[in-house]
Amino acid sequence: MIEVKNLTKVFIQKNGEELYAVNNLSFTAERGEIVVLLGVNGAGKTTAMRMLSTVLQPFSGTASVEGFDIISNPQQVRSNLGFLSGDTGLYARLTAREVITYFGHLYDVEPSNIKIRIQEISNLLDMDDFLDKKVDFLSTGMRQKVSIARSIIHDPPVMIFDEPTAGLDILTAKNIVDFIHRCKNDGKCVLFSTHIMREAERIADKIVMIHEGKVLAEGTWQEFKQETGLNDLDDIFIHFVNRIKDEEIVNEF
Amino acid sequence: MNFKKILIIYKKELLDLFRDRRTVITSLVLPIVLYPLLMIGFSSMMSRQEMKLEQQQMLIYLNDNILDETSIRIESELQNIENLQIMPKIDFYDETPLYELLKDKSIQAVVDLKDSLSSTGYQVLIAKIIYDETSERSSKTYRKISDKLFEIENELVGERLQEIKINEEILTAIELKKENIAPPAQMLGFALGKFLPYLLIILTISSAAVVSSDLVAGEKERKTLETILVSAARRNELVIGKYLTIITITIITVLLNLFSMYLSFHHIFSQYQTDAGGLQLPIGNFALILVLMIPLVTLFSALLLSISTYSRNIKEAQSYQMPVLFGGIMLSMVSFLPGFELSFGFALIPIVNFSLLIRNIMLGSFELSHLFIVVSSTIILDIIAIYISIRLFNCESVLFRTAEEKSLKFWGKDKKNVFTPQFGFLFFIVMLLALFYIGGKWQTENLINGLIRTELLIILLPTILILRISKSDIKKTLRLNQTNPLNFILIILLAFPILVLVGLLMQMINIIFPIPESYMESFNNLIQDITIWKSLFVIALLPGICEEVFFRGYIINVFRKQGIWKSIIITAVLFGIFHLDPFRMVPVTLLGIWMGYLLFKTNSILIPIFAHFANNSLALLIGRFADKMPYFEKILKDGEFPFWWGIPAILIFVFLLKIFAKINDKSCFNALELE
Ligand SMILES: Nc1ncnc2c1ncn2[C@@H]1O[C@H](COP(=O)(O)OP(=O)(O)O)[C@@H](O)[C@H]1O
Ligand SMILES: [Mg+2]
Repeated sequence: MIEVKNLTKVFIQKNGEELYAVNNLSFTAERGEIVVLLGVNGAGKTTAMRMLSTVLQPFSGTASVEGFDIISNPQQVRSNLGFLSGDTGLYARLTAREVITYFGHLYDVEPSNIKIRIQEISNLLDMDDFLDKKVDFLSTGMRQKVSIARSIIHDPPVMIFDEPTAGLDILTAKNIVDFIHRCKNDGKCVLFSTHIMREAERIADKIVMIHEGKVLAEGTWQEFKQETGLNDLDDIFIHFVNRIKDEEIVNEF
Repeated sequence: MNFKKILIIYKKELLDLFRDRRTVITSLVLPIVLYPLLMIGFSSMMSRQEMKLEQQQMLIYLNDNILDETSIRIESELQNIENLQIMPKIDFYDETPLYELLKDKSIQAVVDLKDSLSSTGYQVLIAKIIYDETSERSSKTYRKISDKLFEIENELVGERLQEIKINEEILTAIELKKENIAPPAQMLGFALGKFLPYLLIILTISSAAVVSSDLVAGEKERKTLETILVSAARRNELVIGKYLTIITITIITVLLNLFSMYLSFHHIFSQYQTDAGGLQLPIGNFALILVLMIPLVTLFSALLLSISTYSRNIKEAQSYQMPVLFGGIMLSMVSFLPGFELSFGFALIPIVNFSLLIRNIMLGSFELSHLFIVVSSTIILDIIAIYISIRLFNCESVLFRTAEEKSLKFWGKDKKNVFTPQFGFLFFIVMLLALFYIGGKWQTENLINGLIRTELLIILLPTILILRISKSDIKKTLRLNQTNPLNFILIILLAFPILVLVGLLMQMINIIFPIPESYMESFNNLIQDITIWKSLFVIALLPGICEEVFFRGYIINVFRKQGIWKSIIITAVLFGIFHLDPFRMVPVTLLGIWMGYLLFKTNSILIPIFAHFANNSLALLIGRFADKMPYFEKILKDGEFPFWWGIPAILIFVFLLKIFAKINDKSCFNALELE
């Protein structure tokens, strides 16, 4: 599971001003649950997920993954985490099998287990045909499968997906969505980010809406609908954005 | 850290790189084919050249004014020289047409035979050979003819001695025997030693550059970096694995270079064995060079890895690597230069030290102490560089640098803004080139005149023009403001301790990097030759005005946004570079900082101009009148201050500086900072 507490990230911009890319973010994601981080471009989704995967250090606040703290125990956090984002690449000059094996080694999977895992994953995702082809020669869909395989070679209890479907065609995107559901069924904790309302609605058990680094609202669509009395997803989102703006104006006085 | 994981990363990177055509070509294929090709080209060119020289016909004109037994004998002997022909006789009124023929290379030499009598009554035949030293063919003809004439002379003298019954041997008081102590291998080593370090260092850096740009910047570009950062590998394991990869490939490159070099030399010289007298290159030298290259390789790998880590993509990495490559090429070229010997000072400068050391090894004469200094100083730099690259790799603001919208517009936002760093740099570089090419030419034609023209036309005029074009308020930009008259007196007083301190600094630099003497002389001559007023004008007043207007009037404003001290220091460094003199670079830069400080402290360009003038004239006057001051003569004549002078000089300097700071209390420093 993931527990995020008051996570904050400040970037110093070129003009010297501070940018609170993530501002006091808190939420939890349980096992067997799909939590969606929903926000427009620049909302701070990637930054938050990068902090969770210990690639970036938080400015303040903290979080834990499977009980391991991201600041004091980054090594364990990464071992328990699978990370996949829409724009990650692969080593084009290696074969699919070499890529997956490499990450198996990096994640400390036993060499003998790596082979078995690759076979399992290959059966699951139907990769047998191109396992020994160089990534350079694979289609986008095939690469996406290699990326998935790469991120789950160590069978992590927690999966983080940062806009994994961005820029993919429907069929490839469906592969991923199916895979995410399978993760959920396997009892994994899944954190998923997107800026597409409909996608969030379709797969989320819980939605955390963020805007300019801050949490707008947390709950299910049903709860949001009841709370706002609105029916359209976009309208709901805009409603929440306006609400936080009003609050800010009030706070200034 | 887990060594097993480093090994995994290392193996994967090697596998990945060996599948990359670019790496394979630059690191493996190039060294293997380059040397044989070089050798083949070189040797065929050499033998062609030699054959051509051997077979060349030599045509000479013989002007025999005597036509007696001896001269006819000479003519026939000359005709016997292989490939030499004597032109048919023509009637000339004077020698002018012969010179023409020599000049257009239709003949190679003119031999003019005249008769005269010595006091002893014997005939002395005067043979004048006219030839063209710049032509290889003509020089060779001259050598052949003069050798032949010597031979004939010996015979003639022998005959004369026999006539008066004296043994010929009486003439041999000294028998000259030549033995060139440079054995052929050393001669070859000499030529190679000059070229080898250069080639080796360049191939090393370029191989390390290709590999390192791929390893981090390449991963950023291909969006794979994040996937390994989120893996269970630690950052240090990643960076060390990558570092070892760069080192490995680069060492393989060095090894292949040396091996290929060795083989191709070996091959060529075994072919030449018969006539080249068994030239061989000891393989031990190649092995030593290989071992020695390791610290240099590790240093460059760390440096280039840092650059790659900092860059967002391969293209950016390559553009940042360019200066490193250029610097490497420039520095490694010292092995070409005559007169540069490995000394303690040079042993501390990276690349230069290796270049000279490798040259010495090729010549078979190097000192172990130098080798030790070179290696240990490089290892220290190495450790620093590795530390930096590991730190960089752990620094998220470096690893995740965001794209900045950079516009390479030289003219800032509004078109006429010449006060942007980009434009300032461009302008500086144009000025530097003009100084080097045009100013240099003027100064070799006529030093004094050239200096005046340089200062006025190359430095002052363009600066004023630029300020005019920008339509800026010249008076305000240049800070042509009134200032406290006391400042002028203080500046004169300050010039004394500054002179001593700069002198001492030069002395220290001289200890580490001995300044060639010829260099000092030419400067002294400059001061001695002209009248005192003229030299004050040329060496003190003009530079004071022109250089200060350029640097403290324009350049410093370009960097004002960077903050006061940064603008002072950047300007001073450019000022140091502008003097095109590596030996004075440091003192001149320090003086530049001083001028910048004076400018901002007084908010008037008059003070740095005056200080520039005062410093230069003081140095000039003391050099001039040293001999009139009995006590100081010895000290000043050689330009050597005792080191203890440094202490009072510093004390006086600090004391005067305090007064100066007090007078200019309402300094514009703070106000400027807020500007
Ligand atoms: N390394 C960085 N340095 C400075 N600013 C950054 C950096 N990374 C992201 N940002 C800024 O932080 C904000 C949030 O970005 P991000 O987390 O990528 O948003 P999202 O993934 O929701 O689109 C953006 O305004 C972005 O410009
Ligand atoms: Mg994002």
